[in-house]
Amino acid sequence: MIIKVENLTKIYKTYERGNTFREAVYSLFVRKPKYVEALKGISFNIEKGELLGFLGPNGAGKSTTLKVLTGILFPTDGKVDIMGYIPWKNRKKYVAHIGAVFGQKSQLLWDIPPIDAFYLNKAIYSIPDKSFKKTMDYMVDLLDVGDLIKKPTRLLSLGERMKFEFIMAMLHNPEIVFLDEPTIGLDVIAKDRIREFILQMNKEGVTFILTTHDLDDVERLAKRVIVINHGQTVFDNSIDALKNHLGDKKVLSVSTHSPLPSLEMPGILVKNKISEYNVELELDVAKLELNKFIDYINKSSTINDLSVQSLPIEDVMKDLYS
Amino acid sequence: MIVHKNKPKNIIYRQIDILKATVLATYKEWAAYRSHMAISIFVGPVTFLVQVFIWNAVYSTGNTVSGLTLNQIITYYGVVTIINYLTYDSADWNLQMLIQTGKFITFMLRPVSHCYYAFCQKLGHRLLALWVEFIPVYLLFLLVFKINLVPADLFWALISITLGFILMFLMNYCIGITGFWLTKTEGLRRAFILLRDLCAGVLVPLTLFPGFMQKILFFLPFQFITYVPTRVFIGSYELAGISLPIPYVVGMQAGAVIVMFLVYKLLWFLGIKRFTGVGA
Amino acid sequence: MISAIKMHLQGIKTGLAVRMAYRADFIISAFIMLISEFFGPLLTYLIYNNEASLPGWSMYEVLLIQGVFLLSKGISFPFFFGIVWNTLDRVQNGTFDLLLIKPRSVLQMVIVTGFDSEDLGKLIGGLALTGIALYRLPRPGLSEWVAFIGLFVISLVVMFGFALILAGLGIVWIGNYRVYEIFSSIANFGMYPASIFSKSLQTVITSVIPVAMLGFIPASALLGKPYENTLYAVIISFMFLFASLLFWNTTLKKYTSSGG
Repeated sequence: MIIKVENLTKIYKTYERGNTFREAVYSLFVRKPKYVEALKGISFNIEKGELLGFLGPNGAGKSTTLKVLTGILFPTDGKVDIMGYIPWKNRKKYVAHIGAVFGQKSQLLWDIPPIDAFYLNKAIYSIPDKSFKKTMDYMVDLLDVGDLIKKPTRLLSLGERMKFEFIMAMLHNPEIVFLDEPTIGLDVIAKDRIREFILQMNKEGVTFILTTHDLDDVERLAKRVIVINHGQTVFDNSIDALKNHLGDKKVLSVSTHSPLPSLEMPGILVKNKISEYNVELELDVAKLELNKFIDYINKSSTINDLSVQSLPIEDVMKDLYS
Repeated sequence: MIVHKNKPKNIIYRQIDILKATVLATYKEWAAYRSHMAISIFVGPVTFLVQVFIWNAVYSTGNTVSGLTLNQIITYYGVVTIINYLTYDSADWNLQMLIQTGKFITFMLRPVSHCYYAFCQKLGHRLLALWVEFIPVYLLFLLVFKINLVPADLFWALISITLGFILMFLMNYCIGITGFWLTKTEGLRRAFILLRDLCAGVLVPLTLFPGFMQKILFFLPFQFITYVPTRVFIGSYELAGISLPIPYVVGMQAGAVIVMFLVYKLLWFLGIKRFTGVGA
Repeated sequence: MISAIKMHLQGIKTGLAVRMAYRADFIISAFIMLISEFFGPLLTYLIYNNEASLPGWSMYEVLLIQGVFLLSKGISFPFFFGIVWNTLDRVQNGTFDLLLIKPRSVLQMVIVTGFDSEDLGKLIGGLALTGIALYRLPRPGLSEWVAFIGLFVISLVVMFGFALILAGLGIVWIGNYRVYEIFSSIANFGMYPASIFSKSLQTVITSVIPVAMLGFIPASALLGKPYENTLYAVIISFMFLFASLLFWNTTLKKYTSSGG
């Protein structure tokens, strides 16, 4: 086990300050504290080499958890053990073993080429020359950005920049890498390239913890998913279990030659009745098997066209986020 | 698209509506940062205190400097400080940031002149400064430092300060417009601020400069921002050996405002042409 | 230790490279930085030029104080005072967190990433002003030079203390770039002979907030007329540094418990 989190709690203390003149003057003397419970005791374990999706709606406590795990924030209560370190206590030693990529916060330097930012990181992490060059060449090759490394960062496209963000975060060969919205704003091709890179590095033994709102990222990358909401864990299981979380359901679109029969039976949920001949519905396969449903419709109305899709993961997330 | 949802209002009413809305919005926006502004309550008097000691030491040997008495020179610094709270603005920085970040384009889509909007913003910002900076420091100077902060003639003082307020805005706004041509303007902007403050009499009363400098300063517009309102407030004007009656100086100040407005119109015309020509 | 020095050198190199991306603006800005520091000396010049004086001090003596002050600023502003804007900037836009995920102390990280090459203009200005003043004054002897260098190092200690306090304020007072004004208004007291201030104020600037150390005390030592309370001010300077370190650590702790 590389990460052990037990009963993690974080309570923020803020002060109310008014907007009117009277409140402003008043707040100089008496400040009303306000407590916000961001994390209400969450626990989980992560194995070495996992690629974990860490999800939750805005304000669920995701970034608070991430900040605690990266040693930026210390919690109110709870235990965290990562590779034998307590992040907020042995911060300096601990962070030498981790990396982080923030889609919204660049670690590169805007006006100068990525290579110069890499050299600064080399000095900060005291990376030996040999291993620095080896790691950099390997990753530059993998992401195919060799001819861009000496171009000023501001002249690079967002996709190219993000590739360098990954290299920057992993130059010191971290064992765990935290990813916060790593594909935000990228086009499909750049996203694909980044995802391949993550999968490749994961294959080589790097543990990834991925926070994102892009469910495509999650489906393509994560093998296991943790969902938190209102500061609590609401889901912790494999990605397949997540897809089946709302039961084994299918989304069907049916059109028939003669008017449709009654659809009021267990297992069928009509989503949109377009006409007497055309309907979109959700089928709970546990209650009504697919072939039985098709038989039933075909017998009475003769199917003209039919499409069957599994329930989109968005629906599961909407349910978990509510 | 909604065209004239309401009956087209009288144009003046419409401008007043924009003014009220912008002033209020800016006031509220900055009220959240009033503690930043309140730093002036410390910085102003401390800086002033140093001046008081310097000039006390200078006059302790019995000298007079360029015909001013100790009292006059200290009053000068006091008045300069509080007038600056009334006329300060950052229109140059605001406009340059809008252009550099590309946000300026959103103003091109609004049916209101940006200059007018920026001026309303300044009004809102200074309205907040009135009670956060001006009044506390005024009272401190008046009651603790015992400086005579009563204008010689309230009427002329108010007009002169108002003209200084407008001139400061127009000048800064023109510097902001240079952002249409230059990509990195921070250095130029700071150079201008420095020159402006020096030539406006913020550092020392302009009569302390050597004679030939005073003659140059007399023909530059900067004196009308701070030096003239301060002298009008005190009630006597003199520069480069020329003493002028107050209404006359205020008239010249009004002339400077008109000239500056024309400069703005010209620069704006050229700047917008460049902006729309090059594209954002 | 060696790795820390390497890192700082790399930080300076990177800082210069960043600023060199816009050479013209860099040169203008560095020049402005230099000019803006000449408001004080200009005032001094104008006073003496108007046939007035600060009693007991010649113009070049006062200019020497201001030159030493500028020299102290010229070293501290590029090399470590940048922690102030760096902290302010990073806390405001959220990139302060990025420093906390590096395997170095946060203070070291803000110094390394806060190198401010523009302020090298101040160093040039300081050297020039001190040089001009010294040229017009009698040559100081060896013992004066030794005392001066020792006290000058202590002026850097006081500067560092101020930088820590302002940067700490920057953590709790988000986006408030006006904290610089707090410093410059107080630092003004160090640019003039202490004798022009009232007795109680002299006590404040030597033994409460030792701003006199920033220019006046080292310059007086160089002029061969050391200030009577120099030794006392030296001790206070170190206490000031200690207190500011404490303040910085407190605000940093506040940051890590509230997440900025």
